[in-house]
Amino acid sequence: MTFVDKLQALAQTANRAIKQAKTLDELQELETRFLGRKGELTSLLRGLAEVDEKERPALGSLANEVKVKIESQIVQARVGLSQGEMQEQLHAEAEDVTEPGTRPPEGHLHLVTQAMREITEIFSRVGFVRTRYPEVDWDWYAFEALNMPKDHPARDEWETFFIDAPPSAKMGKVVLTPHTSNAQVREMEQKKFPIRIINMAKCYRRQMDITHVPMFHQFEGLYVDKNVGITHLRGIFDYFVKQFFGPTRQTRLRPFHFRFTEPSFEIDVSCGICDGTTKLPNGEKCRTCKSGWLELGGSGMVHPNVLKAAGLDPEEYSGFAFGWGVERSYMMKEGMQLDDIRTLYKNDLRFLQQF
Amino acid sequence: MNLLVSYDWLKEYVGLKETAEEFAARVSLSGPGVERLYPQGADLAGIVVGHVREIKPHPNADKLRVVIVDAGKKLSIVCGGSNVKEDQWVAVATVGSKVRWHGEGDLIELKPTEIRGVESEGMICAANEIGLFEAFPHAEREILDLGASVPGAKWKAGMSLAKALDLEGDVVMDTEVTTNRPDAMSMVGMAREAAAILKRPFLWKSAKAIKEGKQSLSIKVDDKKWCPRFMVVRVNDVHVASSPWWMKRRLISAGIRPINNLVDITNYVLLELGRPMHVFDADKITGHLHVRLAKKGESIAALDGKTYQLQSNHLVIADDHGPQSIAGIMGGEASGVTAQTKHVIFESALWDPVHIRRTARDLNLSSEAQALFEKGLSTESAPFGLNRAVELCQELAGGMVASRVFDSQTTKYKPLSFSISFEEMNSVVGIEIPKKEAVDTLKRLGFDLKANSSKLTAIVPWWRDHDIESGRDLVEEVARVYGYGRIPPMVPVGLASRPQSSELLWEDRLRTVAKGAGLTEIYTYSFVSESLLMKADFDPSKLLKVQNELSSDFVYMRTSLLPSMLQVIAENQERFREQQLFEVAHAYFPHQEKQTELPDERLQLSVGYLGGDDVWKKAKGFAEHLYQECGIDHVEWHRLENDPFWHPGRTVQAFTGDTTLLGTMGEVHPLILQRFGIEGRVAMVDASLEEIFAQAHSTKRYTPLPSFPEAKRDLALVVPLEVEVQKLIAEIKNVSRTIQHVEWFDTYRGEGIPADKKSVALHLTFSAPDRTLETKEVDEMMETIAERLVSSFRAVIRA
Repeated sequence: MTFVDKLQALAQTANRAIKQAKTLDELQELETRFLGRKGELTSLLRGLAEVDEKERPALGSLANEVKVKIESQIVQARVGLSQGEMQEQLHAEAEDVTEPGTRPPEGHLHLVTQAMREITEIFSRVGFVRTRYPEVDWDWYAFEALNMPKDHPARDEWETFFIDAPPSAKMGKVVLTPHTSNAQVREMEQKKFPIRIINMAKCYRRQMDITHVPMFHQFEGLYVDKNVGITHLRGIFDYFVKQFFGPTRQTRLRPFHFRFTEPSFEIDVSCGICDGTTKLPNGEKCRTCKSGWLELGGSGMVHPNVLKAAGLDPEEYSGFAFGWGVERSYMMKEGMQLDDIRTLYKNDLRFLQQF
Repeated sequence: MNLLVSYDWLKEYVGLKETAEEFAARVSLSGPGVERLYPQGADLAGIVVGHVREIKPHPNADKLRVVIVDAGKKLSIVCGGSNVKEDQWVAVATVGSKVRWHGEGDLIELKPTEIRGVESEGMICAANEIGLFEAFPHAEREILDLGASVPGAKWKAGMSLAKALDLEGDVVMDTEVTTNRPDAMSMVGMAREAAAILKRPFLWKSAKAIKEGKQSLSIKVDDKKWCPRFMVVRVNDVHVASSPWWMKRRLISAGIRPINNLVDITNYVLLELGRPMHVFDADKITGHLHVRLAKKGESIAALDGKTYQLQSNHLVIADDHGPQSIAGIMGGEASGVTAQTKHVIFESALWDPVHIRRTARDLNLSSEAQALFEKGLSTESAPFGLNRAVELCQELAGGMVASRVFDSQTTKYKPLSFSISFEEMNSVVGIEIPKKEAVDTLKRLGFDLKANSSKLTAIVPWWRDHDIESGRDLVEEVARVYGYGRIPPMVPVGLASRPQSSELLWEDRLRTVAKGAGLTEIYTYSFVSESLLMKADFDPSKLLKVQNELSSDFVYMRTSLLPSMLQVIAENQERFREQQLFEVAHAYFPHQEKQTELPDERLQLSVGYLGGDDVWKKAKGFAEHLYQECGIDHVEWHRLENDPFWHPGRTVQAFTGDTTLLGTMGEVHPLILQRFGIEGRVAMVDASLEEIFAQAHSTKRYTPLPSFPEAKRDLALVVPLEVEVQKLIAEIKNVSRTIQHVEWFDTYRGEGIPADKKSVALHLTFSAPDRTLETKEVDEMMETIAERLVSSFRAVIRA
């Protein structure tokens, strides 16, 4: 056999063996067998020394071609084999992907927190800052300074809790604040203008039934500066209602009476269920609202006597104030009909984890 | 305060053209709010006037009869009424109308029926079956005899009953009047409002002054402060009877039950003028009428049938025998008007609101009169009521005014007067209201005005002398009638004078951190019961106490959120065997030194984990996470061993700077859990957030990344059980500044380790800022570390 014959035979054997190889390991063995340092091609090439010197270069390059060919055959076979093997592996690894995923720990914020965050955010965008004032306060700040002298019948509207403690000669009894309005005089006393605050706090009233809880939350808005008018109060309410309840909602003021504001208003929001039309799409009468409107809460222009109690000159300063229930406003917003408001404070995890 | 306003009645005093619906919509936006409309006579549809023509016995029943009635057409009706007779005018419910069987249950539609074998084409009604019992009370089985009940009326067979009784077309409006406006709590008051708001003519005319008699009444008023005005007059020879239908109808429309003409007159004046009145049977009054304070031990049987024990600060109107009326609140039964009454004394007085309020609260007794007096009425209202009552009395009950009118008021009434500049008015409103419109509005509301180009001065009408307290109050009068809807909204641009406090910012961040860590937020009441405190081993005597608690569940203001949270865990444990909760709220601490200071309100965090053996690690882990989120490093941990609330072996406290307590966390003592009935283990975090937030910072610092490779080694050692990891780590770090981190990764107790020892494994990281550490160098440090640990902690190095 000539050297060339041997070379071609080697190439053929290698080609056949490579084609028949079933695994990557087999291929690896073939690579060593044919191309390795002690492999068949190497040993064949050693025989080149015996060939005529003139023919050597041609034979050498032929041998190199064979080498390259085997190499490329191995590479190709390897790609083919590894793809197949991976396919098998992937197939074996298939899972039921409809099983639930592994979730990060899932926490829940209470509805009251969510409501307070949203309200804070809305008012902060028009330059109102959230504040905090005592939840256990003097009668003076809760009532007397708010133009409600002792024994005034208006006080009956706030079913107030008193703390069993000696009263202060100047400030009166210690009360659990029945509203957030104690913030008004406390804030104004600091005399830093403009006053643009949203005060939020726990409030306490002596009543408990399906629509009342003895502890609840209010947000109190107060804007005091020079030349504050009813126009501003309307502007802020319009803005808040559109942000909080939705851009199509309308507001209106109705006359009302509170001791600490003059004039005083009741704020209504157009009904979100019937869109203020009193009729549902199916023609039935809307049960959610009274003639297209829902009562949001009370407000008014700060009473001159309240400004005076804080040491401000009513000739110079004016302002508006409002104080509404956080829970009630949020229920109204979400159209959430809680059968019993006490559910919010029962802390049944089945309830809390819905939010 | 709500008032039921008959629209027909109202129209007697103001020229209205609106429908009741239009009226309600417009007036509600500028004055008293109409909350609901009740069309009158709606329930009487299909009920007609019938004339009884013939009565025949029922063939199968002794108590029933077959009545032939002309109800527009002839109907044959089976009737069980005991008083049915021929030629009688009756109310006939025709087929399809609705009745209330025997006055009970819901309205039921009438169908043609057979009663004991005889067909009945309708029903002859008793008053209680068609909602008219209050107007026409009757005995059981008595049908409504229209002719006898409404004497003088003209009946026509087949006419609708609603029309025959003048109910048709009327609408009763349930109207909310604000508490500052008792003057509007009446038909005339509402008419005044309507006239001003709708710009319609006000038609009311007051009654003529009384033509006085000669008799002089003997009256004594002890103190004018409590009774600023007292007016009485005696009328002799009255005829007590049932009131005419028109008056009954009006009383009923306002929710008041007719009694007899004289009592009805006082109620009618109350509704018409908002002026409480009282009428005495003059023969039951012995001697003087004396307005005085009650004497010790006195009591009075009032018109509501109850007896009230009076205290010596309660005002009464007494005669020589004792109290005959609880002043301004309710009359006495003994001197009330009855069918036998011949002579009466009408009283129209004024009482101090604070006094009325206290007495009503003391006696737990309220009345329409008391509600008005305690809101504050004008002294000037008294004569209007007295004149009107006497006028009505003479019209309905006859009689002669026998006495002079006694009036305790001797000085002339001085009306109030206030000024406001147009500039101030416009500033409060925010836009300019035309001066003419302002002036006209106030005039229509009854103010006497003087105005120049810059300001107006208003003389307050007497009926507004309690709610108009300053010039500012005039703004509301003008603006509400002008229409709040006409005032354009304007958002005031600007910024608050300060940023949000850092406490509020951190509180918000804390909530985000807690939610992110998988905790569920709870909100529990700030007040707790004594039994809850006892269960958790808290001493109630040191807590703020509510003086007028709602129930024993809400007595003490809590100083810790933990007991409430344990309660929540206990309540949820059947459904949730693993829980992770948090709450942020104020706790209220009585001021330590001075009881005269307000309590300290401190923001607290509580966290609770219900679960297995590892819960204390979760609680501590959360605290570590929180401190890290707040940028607080260098926390020192000290074991807490002797607090009865906490598990002595699994509780730790976090400090910074050795003295500032950042929180307590660990397992709750099993005894406490037992008391709460909690199964499993509970670990909690209790932290006062003030301390944490004071040290928290959100500024980010940058530490350059190491430029040279780090060397990592592990260290495992066996130490006595009481040796704390925190101390081991501190000791190791003391060896060299090239030790960057010492990280705990395992503690093992059990097989292969003596019972009083534990095996602790740590990761150590070494690096130097200026060079690569050589292996030899690190090895040497490891040796030093080992030596130190052996000598300081009797450690045995394992690897």
